[in-house]
Amino acid sequence: MLEKLLGGGKLEKKALENIKNYLQIFISAQECLKNLFLTENLEKSYCIENLEREADSVRREIISTIYEGAFLPYIRPNLCTFIEITEKAFDFLKTCAFEFRYFDKKFYQTIKEEVLRIANINIEMAEILYRAFQSLMEKNNLREKNLAIRIYEKKVDEIKLDLIEKVRQKEVTNFWEGKNIDEFLNALVKISDIIEDASDYLYILDISLK
Amino acid sequence: MPKKAFEIMNTKLETISSEDSIYSAIEKMIDRRIRSLLVLPKDEKDDYGVVTVRNIIFKALIKGIDPHKVKIGEIASKPLVTVSKDASIEEIYKLMEKNNIARVFVKDKEKIIGVVSFFDIMAHILIERAKT
Repeated sequence: MLEKLLGGGKLEKKALENIKNYLQIFISAQECLKNLFLTENLEKSYCIENLEREADSVRREIISTIYEGAFLPYIRPNLCTFIEITEKAFDFLKTCAFEFRYFDKKFYQTIKEEVLRIANINIEMAEILYRAFQSLMEKNNLREKNLAIRIYEKKVDEIKLDLIEKVRQKEVTNFWEGKNIDEFLNALVKISDIIEDASDYLYILDISLK
Repeated sequence: MPKKAFEIMNTKLETISSEDSIYSAIEKMIDRRIRSLLVLPKDEKDDYGVVTVRNIIFKALIKGIDPHKVKIGEIASKPLVTVSKDASIEEIYKLMEKNNIARVFVKDKEKIIGVVSFFDIMAHILIERAKT
């Protein structure tokens, strides 16, 4: 749909393929984070930085293709904003991996179950976001994808409350430990927020094209 | 891969002692905005039970029973309908349909670890639809 409505030229095809590629890298980064949490092997934390760099270069290519003239002018800023929203999630993924390196591993065992549940939900949300983008192009039902993402976001919110309860039990002995826990958990639960924002944006884009 | 009970269950289980009054249960339900409470066993020989808004209305309030004077244990539904944590979602909704119940509790060995309600089933189905 998007291809037809907005031109369907070479530049459009290139941009759309790159957006799909970008979202696939996003899913891979989420899987990488889950593996890190599951195995607690800190070596695995570096794959997120590598994927983020890869995503950065794809993002630059998408933006430059769009400004080379892909799509109708009124659509361009909308697509760029969608990409920029998703980019924020990469920042939180990176923060999560970084802070996990310094996280108290004994305390981690008490919250591992919740952390893994959130990581699993984040992967599924990223996969649905990818499908939502495909639906936008194929004129399928985007509304159902958007609702599923909202359901998942509510689940993350509930798990967040359980996590806060557990964190409150922990005695924090110094500033850096407190900062580490706060930044780790904050980044972890923000990823689903960003995916929800991106999904809402796709939905608005879909409506604006009708 | 099809999901299992523990992947969609709600782990927040609000409990109440079977010795507490119906009124205490009502207060807890209103305060926490929930529709059911897990009733703890009195002793090792006793089973878990569940008290729902439906129990409270039909077994106490509309019969004019004073909710301060009657214990939860007297109106709770026992035994619980449970499934193992690895049960399939299909197994759960078949149990719901067969027993005409709105929630199924999830067990890990003998311990109750969560509950799957109609809402969880609906959310699961909607998410699966979105994945296609």
